[in-house]
Amino acid sequence: MAPRPGEDDDRKGIARELKRGSLELIVLHLLSHGEAYGYEIVTALTERSNGGLEVTDGTLYPVLYRLERAGSVAVRWETPQRGVPRKYYRLTKSGQAELARLRHEWNTFADAMASLLRQQPEIT
Amino acid sequence: MSVEQAYIDRVIAQLPREATLRAQVALELQSHIAERVEHGHSVEEALRQLGDPIVLAESYLAAVPLIPASFWRRAAAKLLDVVVYVGVCAPVVLVVVYRYQFVIAVFVGAFLAAISAVYPLLAEYRYGKTLGKHWLGLRVVRESGARISFGQSVVRQLPLALEIFWIDVLFALFTEKSQRAFEILSKTRAVVATEDQS
Repeated sequence: MAPRPGEDDDRKGIARELKRGSLELIVLHLLSHGEAYGYEIVTALTERSNGGLEVTDGTLYPVLYRLERAGSVAVRWETPQRGVPRKYYRLTKSGQAELARLRHEWNTFADAMASLLRQQPEIT
Repeated sequence: MSVEQAYIDRVIAQLPREATLRAQVALELQSHIAERVEHGHSVEEALRQLGDPIVLAESYLAAVPLIPASFWRRAAAKLLDVVVYVGVCAPVVLVVVYRYQFVIAVFVGAFLAAISAVYPLLAEYRYGKTLGKHWLGLRVVRESGARISFGQSVVRQLPLALEIFWIDVLFALFTEKSQRAFEILSKTRAVVATEDQS
C-alpha cells in the first residue's frame, strides 16, 4: 500500500520543520518564473528539487491561499468550455518584495549555519 | 453523492457556517481535484494528496486571522441578549400571572428559565452567534477558527446552569484572548466576525 501523505515527512524531523518554515519562500520563488496553476506548482517543486522538497497538495494549497489573502499572489480563474474552472496564480508587486525579503532572510540564515558547522565546536 | 463531493463536504463542515470562505474553499478544491484528474490521476489519488479533511480545513482556517473580541463588546452583546429576553418574557409573565392559575404560572416560569439557557446554546451551535453577538459583530469559534460542536456549545453554557456565571466571566478580564474559564475548557473563543465568516 502507498504511504499516507505526511508519513514520509514524519521520518525526517529537521527537513519537515525547515520545509514548513520555508514553504512561502518556495512558492513565491516558483511563481517568479510566471503564472502557474496548483498542479504545476506541486510537480515543479518535486522535479526541481529532485524529490527532496516534495509536498502534498494538502500542504501546498493552504499556503497559496494564505499568500493570496496577504496580497503576495494574485489569482485568475480560467473557465473552459466544459469542465471545472482552473485557478491560476501569479506574483504581485508586493509578492516580489516579499520574495526578495524572504530570500535574503534564508540566505543569511543558511550562510550563518554553514559558517557555524565548519567551525570546531569548542566554546572558549 | 460522489466521493469527491463527500470529501469537500467534510472539509467545508469544519468551516464557520454561512461563510464566504466555505464557497471559496469548495470551489478551489473542486478545481485542484480536477487538475489532478486531467493529468491522469484518479480521484482517490487526488483526495489522498489533499489528506485528512479536518487537517486541511484547519490549514485553510490558519490563513484567516482571528481578532479577539474585547471584554466590553462581549458584555454589551450579553446585555442586549438579556434585554431582548426580558422584552419577550415580560409580557408573557404579566399575562400569565394575572390571568392564569399559580400552577400554570410556575410551569411557564420554568419554561422561560430553560429558554434562557437553551437559546444561546442552540444559537451559538447553529449560527455561531446569539442575536446580541450578531448586532455587536461577534461570533463564537473553536480556537482554530472552525465552527463549534454541539458538545462545546453545551460546555460554554454550563456556568449558567451551575450558577457560577460571574466567576466564569471574571476570567475574561484577565486572560489573553479574553476567554471565560468555560471557554478555555471548551477550547472555544469569541472573535470579531470578519467578511469571511458572516
